[in-house]
Amino acid sequence: MSDRADMVKREESMPERSREIPAVAPFVDIYENESEILLHADMPGVDKNDITINVDNGKLSLGGVRKIETAGAVQWEEFESVEYQRTFSVPQSIDIGKINAELKNGVLCLHLPKSEAAKPRRIEIKTS
Amino acid sequence: MGTRWSEFERMFNTMDLLQNRMNRLYPGLGRTGVFPSIWDVSQGGPRANLYDSGDHLKMLIEVPGIAKEDLNIKVQGNYLEISGSRKSDAPEGYSAQRVERGTTEFTRSVTLPSDVDTNKVEAHLTNGILTLKLPKAETAKPKQISIG
Repeated sequence: MSDRADMVKREESMPERSREIPAVAPFVDIYENESEILLHADMPGVDKNDITINVDNGKLSLGGVRKIETAGAVQWEEFESVEYQRTFSVPQSIDIGKINAELKNGVLCLHLPKSEAAKPRRIEIKTS
Repeated sequence: MGTRWSEFERMFNTMDLLQNRMNRLYPGLGRTGVFPSIWDVSQGGPRANLYDSGDHLKMLIEVPGIAKEDLNIKVQGNYLEISGSRKSDAPEGYSAQRVERGTTEFTRSVTLPSDVDTNKVEAHLTNGILTLKLPKAETAKPKQISIG
């Protein structure tokens, strides 16, 4: 009997799940060359102003919200409003001040230039 | 009866705990059509939403990374066909560390709930979402019936 009472109390303590936007990880391609790391992320439907890019303590986090407005009676809906969210570890050698990004066709293109010290250098071998 | 229920409770609680842990690790996992490949093979193409606004239909299609030159839209009566290709945007001279976005060609055809006026169809591509405005053919529009 006491089990039943507990059950009822527990259900009440659970807050009602309001319609929150689901969080989703966007697909990314990561490329690297000597001078920078390049990241392409699929974020269709996200406006430039709704994107957040943060670098903190070796972690790069991307975020973006897209809202799909329903216009009229829904016949079918295969994609919905989502919040894109993904975090990466970035090497210490990235020059944070020079990071730049562009958004084209729903794809975020993020350039992470490597700092001078991290660029590979040819070591000359001197023969005596 | 009471004891058996509490055993279920315990089992569900553990499963909930595991679910929460998994949600924190991989947000979106388990939600169909969201984490796996860009387009679900079962749907045969990019995801689309269709809305009916009375005198026109509105269709939104998710096509990230595709330029408008690479998309083809054909409409006839109540048949709509969209085809396109997504090319690789891998830059020259870089080594790939991780590649999750694919390149693909697709063709997706749908039967619309009503005939559309093909002369008045409008299409816009913004931020990787293709919006189609499909005004219905006159015969397909809803009519006000007045009671005599």
